[in-house]
Amino acid sequence: MSVSLGAFVAVSAVLFFIGTAGVLVRRNAIVILMCVELMLNAANLALVAFSRRSASVDERGSVFVVFIFVIAAAEVAVGLAIVLAAYRNRPTVDVDEIQRMKG
Amino acid sequence: MIQNVWLIPALPLAAFLISGLLGRRWLHHWTGVIASTAVGASAVIAIGVFLEVLGGKTRTIVSLYEWIGVGDFRVNVAALVDPLSSVMLLVVTVVSFLIFVYSNGYMAHDHGFYRFFAWMSLFVFAMLILVMADNFLLLFVGWEGVGLCSYLLIGFWFERPAPYVAAKKAFVMNRIGDWGYTIGMITIFLVFNSLNFTDVFARVEENPPTQSVLTLIAIALFFGATGKSAQLPLYSWLPDAMEGPTPVSALIHAATMVTAGVYLVARSTPLFAAAGPALGIVGIVGAVTAIFAATIALVQFDIKRVMAYSTVSQLGYMFLALGVGAPVAAIFHLATHAFFKALLFLGSGSVIHAVGGEQDMRKMGGLRRKLPVTYWTMLLAGGALAALPPLAGFWSKDEIVGAAFTNGYPILWAIGIFTAVLTAFYVTRALWMTFHGEPRDHHLHDHAHESPGVMTLPLMALAVGTVVLGFAIGWPPEAGFIHRFLTPSVEIPGESEHVAEVGTIVVLAIVSLAAGVLGILVALAMYVRRRPDPVAVARAAGPYYRILVNKYYIDELYDHRFVDAMRALFGIAWAFDIHIVDGIANRLGWLAVLGGGGLRRVQTGIVGNYALTIVAGLLVLLVAYGGYAAGVFTR
Amino acid sequence: MTYDVVEPIFFALLTIGIVSAGAGVVLANRITTSALLMAFSFLNVAGMFVLLGAETVAAFQVLIYVGAITVLILYGVMFTPQQPRAYGLFFQKQTPLAAIVVVPIAIFVALFAFSFRDAPEAGAKGHDLEPLATSVFRDFGFPFEVASVLLLAAMIGAIVLVKRDEE
Repeated sequence: MSVSLGAFVAVSAVLFFIGTAGVLVRRNAIVILMCVELMLNAANLALVAFSRRSASVDERGSVFVVFIFVIAAAEVAVGLAIVLAAYRNRPTVDVDEIQRMKG
Repeated sequence: MIQNVWLIPALPLAAFLISGLLGRRWLHHWTGVIASTAVGASAVIAIGVFLEVLGGKTRTIVSLYEWIGVGDFRVNVAALVDPLSSVMLLVVTVVSFLIFVYSNGYMAHDHGFYRFFAWMSLFVFAMLILVMADNFLLLFVGWEGVGLCSYLLIGFWFERPAPYVAAKKAFVMNRIGDWGYTIGMITIFLVFNSLNFTDVFARVEENPPTQSVLTLIAIALFFGATGKSAQLPLYSWLPDAMEGPTPVSALIHAATMVTAGVYLVARSTPLFAAAGPALGIVGIVGAVTAIFAATIALVQFDIKRVMAYSTVSQLGYMFLALGVGAPVAAIFHLATHAFFKALLFLGSGSVIHAVGGEQDMRKMGGLRRKLPVTYWTMLLAGGALAALPPLAGFWSKDEIVGAAFTNGYPILWAIGIFTAVLTAFYVTRALWMTFHGEPRDHHLHDHAHESPGVMTLPLMALAVGTVVLGFAIGWPPEAGFIHRFLTPSVEIPGESEHVAEVGTIVVLAIVSLAAGVLGILVALAMYVRRRPDPVAVARAAGPYYRILVNKYYIDELYDHRFVDAMRALFGIAWAFDIHIVDGIANRLGWLAVLGGGGLRRVQTGIVGNYALTIVAGLLVLLVAYGGYAAGVFTR
Repeated sequence: MTYDVVEPIFFALLTIGIVSAGAGVVLANRITTSALLMAFSFLNVAGMFVLLGAETVAAFQVLIYVGAITVLILYGVMFTPQQPRAYGLFFQKQTPLAAIVVVPIAIFVALFAFSFRDAPEAGAKGHDLEPLATSVFRDFGFPFEVASVLLLAAMIGAIVLVKRDEE
């Protein structure tokens, strides 16, 4: 018996929430970025699962995944650029110490 | 010429614009010439109009354009040219012209010269609008305009505090009267559905409203007239208005603006006649004011103040005439009074000019030889004021008191006769103290000099009018030119002319003449022979004298009762504004700041907090979606 | 037939890999450990894609995520040297709290996920490149162009952000 769709989505959900927990708990900016990537992967997994396993193979899910690849890559690049720029200001990547935007 | 009647106010308006805009930098003293020429030209056109009306065009309406056309409310800028308005046009323009010429000399050294002529021209414009209007609203425009110019001109020398205080007082009192006028005007519209003289007066006849409504209208309009024409209770601005330059006093506060109230009531004769007790009130107020002001004039020392109270008194006579049903007499007296009172004022101005600005008669005396032209012209004017024949004042005043008697108001007649005695007394006293006797201040006396020709020529011209006018247009009494001319425009529809017999007229004339002569003789006795000595009389009369000198303490009364009450009200309004209105605005601002301060705390700057918020929002979405999918929330 | 037996086994293995690697990313003390574990997690996800029959997507996953993004992260780690940290688990006061909050929700959502029914007949495996490409370049041509502009903007933005100020 092949694996049901629900199982794939469950895995995706678990991975997503692991990533969320990481974003909330960790202080290092780069680790937070990594956790965000995990979340994106979880979303990709769910999308592809739905795309391949629905009544007719609807490749629009997969197309969306391709676009998510693009955006994730761009986001990592820019995010890291920001972290580097902040690091140049004060040599820390600890988000708790970057509080200059306090309102 | 009647079709060009709109030129008459247009020329002074142009003079105003030219003097006002160009006078300061470029035209300077030329403004006087321009303004005088403009008014002179208006006078010529007014003469033309008058002749045409005389020739038979007794009622023309020259419409300029439709001003307001909203549903039933239609008001045009249009002129009503009939005997009454043509007479007024003539009086206003001719007297204004002479005063303008005089002012060229009197104001020659004043650095506000161009401003003076600008305001004076504007005034003449507004006054002409007032007398030419064919409806109550346009008349009101002129009414307000002359009030404004009066304010501007009384406060002409605003560098000193007294003039602008007086100007404020004049304007405020006028305004109080205007409230009455406005009520009357609104009621007229509500009742008659029109503000046009023609329409309203026609409808009063055909379909008169109730007596109480008519009385309300009449009293309201008359209240406005008391403000403008300085009758009780709104008279006390006029003596204070003497702070303005003397030509202003002559023009505005003797000959023209203050007569606007008389003109209004005369014009509205059909309304007043139908309004029962209203005319009686007019007459009583006029008579009481006349005697009241005359008593004050007996003891004043400032020559201009004497003339001011005299004006109030004479205006009272005019209202008395209106009240007893003799509007023609009122207008007649208006015309003659314009001439001799203007002459008295201009003459006073000449005297003041001669003694270097002094206005207190106690410092004058013996100026007869130094100022011959002024002396003789003022003598003629004073005689007219005292109603000596054949001078103008005799004919008009005699007619008023005569009408009071023959139309059945003996008490008012008695008041009028007694006031005539007082009038003759105070004018003789004033002239004596100024021109005769020993000079009381030799320094002033030595420097006194007759005024230049530009000032004396108008004096002489006015003197001619003073001598000739009454006889020329008022003879024979009750049947002269002026009566035949004016009666059609002020006749009371349905009421026949009450012509007294010749014998009664002659007797009444002798009585008024005797009254005048009596007053003069008493004055001469007191001041020439010192029997009784005026100083002794004053001391003997003690408190009565003090009351008179302090003008019955009316100003103080008004100040305490009304002004202080208003001040309390203002205090309340101010407190309301500061605490409640501003308070609301301040509280709202405070609320915004509070809210902002609270919301600001969300921006902690800590990335972790932001992430938490995002996740929290995510959870809310999950719950919402889950609930929707499970059917917990319906769509 | 064999496939039906093999598939769940591979699925279980991959699941364990993904979840443990993900937990490792969150809980590891050293950054490099987190980065490498993240890469491992990506690989397992690629395996999942293969299991689903989306081979092209799996290839892209390996290329982009494991290849490019992991390298980027490692570059980022390299340029932001920190105090060296000990090997071990990352622990903070909030960690148990986060676990308490996240775990129940995760379980709940996972259970909810099982309510999805899949297609009555199994989909085709493989051969997904052609439909995918056709879809991207024909139906979604405009978003494709926009995505390339986005990449360009991101590239320029990243360069500008890390530019040193000219003295």
